Order: sequence, then structure tokens, then C-alpha cells
Amino acid sequence: MPMSRLSSGHAPRLAVWITGVSFTVIGGVLGLTFLVLSWQTQSRLRRAAADDLEGSQQRFADIEARRTRERRLQAVALAENPTLKAAVDTYVSEMGQGTASADLLPTIRHEVVKLADLMGVPALALVENGTVLASAGRRANDWPAGARVSWVEPAEGDEVVISRGPSLFLATTVPLQLGPDLLGTVVLATPLDDAYANSLSAGARADVVIFHQGKVVASSTTGALGAEIASVALPAAGPVIVNGQELVVRRLAQLGSTAVYAVSSVASAATATTSEVTRVMFFVGALALLLAGAASLWLARTLARPIDALTESLARMAETKDLDGPLPRSGISREMDALADSFDTLRSAVSQAEAESDAAYLGVIGALAAALDARDPYTAGHSQRVAALSVLLAKEMTLPEQDRETLRLGALLHDIGKIGINDNVLRKPGKLTAEEFDHIKLHPVLGARILQPLTFLAPHLPVVELHHERPDGRGYPHGLRGDDIPLFARIVHVADAFDAMTSARAYRPARPAAEAMAELWRNVGTDFDPRVVQAMAAVWDTKLVQHAGDAGAVAAPFRDPVSTTLPFRLRAARAPQPVG
Amino acid sequence: MPIPEGKPGACSKASGVAAFLALAVIVAVSLPPVPTAAVQNGATTGSISAVVRLSAPARRLNTTGAYPSRRVAVAPQRAASELENVVVFVRRPQAEPPAPSHVEIRQLNEEFVPHLVAVTTGSTVNFPNDDLVFHNVFSLSSAATFDLGRYPQRKSKARTFPKTGIVKVFCHLHSHMNAIVRVFDHPYFARVGEDGRFTIGGLEPGRHEVVAWHERVGEANASVVVAAGEATEAAFTLPLAD
Repeated sequence: MPMSRLSSGHAPRLAVWITGVSFTVIGGVLGLTFLVLSWQTQSRLRRAAADDLEGSQQRFADIEARRTRERRLQAVALAENPTLKAAVDTYVSEMGQGTASADLLPTIRHEVVKLADLMGVPALALVENGTVLASAGRRANDWPAGARVSWVEPAEGDEVVISRGPSLFLATTVPLQLGPDLLGTVVLATPLDDAYANSLSAGARADVVIFHQGKVVASSTTGALGAEIASVALPAAGPVIVNGQELVVRRLAQLGSTAVYAVSSVASAATATTSEVTRVMFFVGALALLLAGAASLWLARTLARPIDALTESLARMAETKDLDGPLPRSGISREMDALADSFDTLRSAVSQAEAESDAAYLGVIGALAAALDARDPYTAGHSQRVAALSVLLAKEMTLPEQDRETLRLGALLHDIGKIGINDNVLRKPGKLTAEEFDHIKLHPVLGARILQPLTFLAPHLPVVELHHERPDGRGYPHGLRGDDIPLFARIVHVADAFDAMTSARAYRPARPAAEAMAELWRNVGTDFDPRVVQAMAAVWDTKLVQHAGDAGAVAAPFRDPVSTTLPFRLRAARAPQPVG
Repeated sequence: MPIPEGKPGACSKASGVAAFLALAVIVAVSLPPVPTAAVQNGATTGSISAVVRLSAPARRLNTTGAYPSRRVAVAPQRAASELENVVVFVRRPQAEPPAPSHVEIRQLNEEFVPHLVAVTTGSTVNFPNDDLVFHNVFSLSSAATFDLGRYPQRKSKARTFPKTGIVKVFCHLHSHMNAIVRVFDHPYFARVGEDGRFTIGGLEPGRHEVVAWHERVGEANASVVVAAGEATEAAFTLPLAD
């Protein structure tokens, strides 16, 4: 029963299945875990970034408030400079009179430079009546003397953004007063440039972008982020997507149309964390897959081993046709053992059914043969005897038992074709005419034709069709020669001739067996195969065939067509199936 | 959004204060003339007397507050004090060289008192220190550039002003302190009193250009005809110079 071979070409092996499924499941779980972790990390980082920026804003507000206040205090203190006041007051007064001393302006400038040095500001300008009177500092070029300057006066203590040419300045404005009089304004200006953004960034601990009228004027970030962020309307605080990149922003300050934003990239923070998670996940995943692989293989082998053993047992059984022994039990799988149990049950049922069907068809054949024999009292028991003798000969010739069985059935049926022969020819008491004999000679072919539809009788057909062929080629129906004639047919030919000679006919009595034996010898090589005749002689010698020439012994069956009695006693031969 | 153009950030002394201060100098020439001492004495000169009014009080800027200078005493608040800071004078009179005088500007409660003095050339101004703290007197004006140094209470330093002009006086120690010495080369000038009245006497008969000057408002001019031996009182308004 080639079960394993039937399925082996189509379905994958069990081990592949188990390993594949467990790999897929573990891989899927790992992948899902990774996705969930990544997502959680992202959202956590987004919150953290927002919190950071809130902290940044507070830090920034604190720092800026302190810085603004201190700068103002310092500036106010320094604006109390009596020389500067005296010089400005005198200068303005005398300019009105047209009598200004040439020393006054240098005095004012000198004082302004001193102030700028003390304050350490990038630009310090003294503005009188909307005009720069004097300026100092490294960015003094943006505040040239005589330049007109204007700004929106901020609320008390606030700073103000002043545009100077292409540059923007964040300015602290301090009045220069003389008693009740306003002499002018001291402007302490810091350019809103990248350096300033960087200094803010260091204080706020976040990237800082400074906008003016919707355009980025300064940024602490490197690269294109600063430019790209200008294309997006920024909320006061919250997440924003810029060019596919997720950012968290928070407005730190707003002065007129100038806004300072802290910017934090979620992605860049996430990348670091995610890459770490990825690394850990990779190692965990690799380990899990390795363990899963080992476990799956072990499991698959454990499952497959009893199946393989069972398959092997079945294959061996099929090969040897030995279906008697029970299948081995795996001992590790109840299901497999149950399968073996069921199979054993099935096997015994099939064996029994086979035995029954064997018996049934042997019975049919026996009945056919007996029915044939019964048509002619002279040939009663002939088929049975020929069959028995053929088996004896085959045994003598050491043919295997399976062949002997084939031979026996073939011999039993060898004359079945005589069913199609006319009774008056078949049972003619006298000599047959040539015409009648030709009619008789049809019976091997007729027999073969009758049995041909029965496929299970195919091995026996040569015996039926060719049992009248002779080694010298003078036999019928085909006139085959020597070894072209199957051995079984040659054996049956000899057994048929012997039984015919030792049986009585209507037109002659039975001849003694010794005489028949001599007749065989006389025609050896021409009518009979030498090996078969030799075997016949051997059988004769071992007295297996006793009373063979005894006419009385063979007379009895003539009167009882269905009798199984043989003209000789068989020893050690398998008992023929009872008929009827 | 562009930064909206605002008002000028820094105001000049003159324009800023002008917005708040309107000074009206009304010269009232009395008709019929009120006999004056000069007339009664058969003098050949006349005089101008008038009332000066400030149409609005001068803006008192608060000090910046963040860094007020020390005060040893609170300065008394004087109503209409700005009137006393107006000087009225005759432009380019024909006059003999005036006699020098001695005046005082005291340093009291970290203020120069009075804030304004008008003197003839060659006059000497004393600067006595009445405060407990040191004071200093200096000027960067072209008419008189000087520095009297620092000196303590009960000391006084003096300075003579030989040139005409406006001399602004400051204290190096107290930056808010300032005073004005107006120096003329003729005697025809007068400080306006607390009530806004002034009199300029000893004028030649005829037409005179009269100028009222305040440091923050600037000048206001008027043309006045003076009769000999009469105290001319005419009511007319000197419009503010723009």
C-alpha cells in the first residue's frame, strides 16, 4: 500500500509545515510588537518633545525676562551719565542757536562709545528727534549718524524690533532725561541673526527659529529646515508637519510681527530611540526565530518519526505482500497508535475479504471445470487430475509455489473451450473424421476467448490456449516450437496426454500407466518437452502415482462426474478446493 | 506685516515739549499810561511791562524711576514755576556796556535754584552748596566752558561770564541737575515773575523788538513802541514761534 509515495510529490513535508507556520507566527508577532513599540515610542517622544518645548519656553521666558530687565536697569543707570546729558542738552540747545561748539559732538560720541563698551551690546545708538546722533558697537554701521530711525514705542519695559536696512534688531530703548526734559533715546540693539538664534537655542535647549513678517530671518538649525518651516502656518504650540517631517513647535515670544519659535524634531529624536529598539528587537527576534526553528524542527521530527515508521512498515508490507503481522506502535502518539489500530483492523478485514473472494472465484472455476467434465462421462475428473498431476510435475521441477498455483488453475481450466464443441463430436464413440478433429482442435482458442474477459485469469490463459502445442511445431492452434511454448503449457500438455492415455474411452480401454509412460518417452522431444517428461519419470519413480495403470481405479470416477476422487492418491500436494 | 511707521521715537527737547507747552507772552501796554517813577522824575526813557502766561503747564517727565538719584529732601512743588524760567529781553538795543552784577544759583535739594538767571556780561554767578552732599558745577556751552570741581556743603564757587550767550550748567554728580545762565551785553532784560509779570525799564523811546525766551519753547517776538518818560503798557500777544 504505497500511501507515502502517493502524497510525497504534492504536499510539503510536515517539518516544513510546522517550521513555516511557527516562523510565520513568531515573525508576525515580532513585527507587530515592533510596530506597536515604534508607534508608542513616536507618540511618547512627541509628548516628550512638547513637554521639552514647554520647559524651553519657560526657561526662555525666565532668561529673556531677566536679561531684558537687567539690560534695562544697566542701560538706565548708564543713561544717567551727566556728561552725556550735559553734552546732548548743550548740543541741541546750541544747534538751535547756531552756536554749537565743535567739541560737543565728539564728546557725545565718546560717551556713547564708553556706554557701548560698558554694555557690551552689538550696537548702541543715541537717537535724538528721530535721528541718530551717535552710535557705537560692532554693528554701528547699521546705525550711521544722521540716519532716520523709527519704531513703535513698546509698552513700558518691553523690547522692540527695529528694522535697519536688511537687518532686524531687537532693541531696548531708554530715555535720556534731564529733569523733566527728554533729551533723546538710547537704543541698545542686538541683531536678530543666526548667532542670536544660537544663543537663544543654548538657553532654551531647543532649536530656535525667528520669523519676521512670515519669513525666517534667523535660525539655530542647520540645513533647509529653517526655510521649509516658513512655508507652514505655525500654531502657538503643537505638532506640525513640515515637508513630511514631524515637528513640535512652541512660540517663545511675539514682538509685533516678529516671532521666536522653539522647534523640536520628533523624527530625529525618534530615530535614535527607534534604532535602539530596532537593534534590541533584532537580537530578540533572531534569538526567538532560532529557538522557534529548533523547537519546530524537534517537534516536526517527533511527529514525523512515527508517521515515517508507519509508512515504512506499510511500504515493506506492500512489497512483501505480507499483510499478516500487526503494525508497530509508535508509543509516543496516541493518534498514531489509533491510526495503526484502525489500519490493522482494516487490514484484517481486507485479508478476510480477499480470502473469501479467492475462495469464491476458485469455486467458480472448479464448477466450470466440473461442468465441462460432466458433459462426457469418459472425461469425468479429467481436469482435476490434470491439475493435480501438473502441480506434481511443477513441484518436481522446483517451480515456486506461486507458479504452481497459477499452473493448477490453468490446468483446471485447460479444456474449458470444449464447452463450444458439439456434443456429438465430443461424445462420438468412434474415431473422429478429419473434419471432426479440426473442430475439436478449436477448443484451446475457444477456451482462451471465453476466459479473456476475466482479467484475473490472464496468467492462466497461455495454459488454456497453448496446451496442445508440441516442441516439434506440429501442435495446434499456432504450431509454436520449443521454448516459444510457455513452460506451463508444456507441463499441462504432458499431464493431459498422460491422463488421456490412462483413461478409458468409449472406443478403447484405459492403458496402463507404464505403457503411457513409455509412450511419453517414445515421443519425447517431438510431442513432449524432455524436461517435463523427465519430471514425469521422476514422479513416476517416487511412486507418487500409484495404481496409475489400474483400470478399476479409474473406472469409479466415470460414474461420478463431480467426484473429486483421483485415479491416484496425492501426497503432500495442496488439497484442491471442494466443488459443489 | 511691516512695522507700522510710528511717531518719532525720540523727541527733541523743543518739539516734544512744544506739544505740551504753549507759551503766551502778552505784553500789555497800559493806556492811558500809568505814570512811572521815570516819568515823575522827568526821565527820558520809557519801560515795558507785560504779563506772560503759559497756556499749558510744561510737561513734567517722570524720572526714569529705575535708577533715581539720591535725594536729601523732597523738592517743594512750585506752581507755575515754568514762568520763572522765561526771560524777556530787547533785541539789539543801543546801550552802553552794562554794569556787572553778582547773582547766586544755590544748590539745594539736588536742584539748582533758581533754574534760570539772566546777567550782564562780566557778571559773576556764585554757586553755594546748601546740600549735605558734594556738588559739582560744569558747563560745556560755547559761551562758557568750565568745571568748578566738586565741593561740599557751605562752600561756594563763583564763575564770571564775560561772553553773551546761553550757558547750560550741570552737576557731574547729579545728572538731573541743570541750570541756565543767560548772558546779555545790555541791561534790557527781565525774568518773568511768578505771576507772569515783568518790567523792562530805561528804554529809549521808539520801536523795540521784544523777545520772550524759554529753553524748551524757544523764542517769541513782539514789536513794541516805547514813549519817553512813560511806562508803556499795551495789551498784545506774542505768538509762539514755530
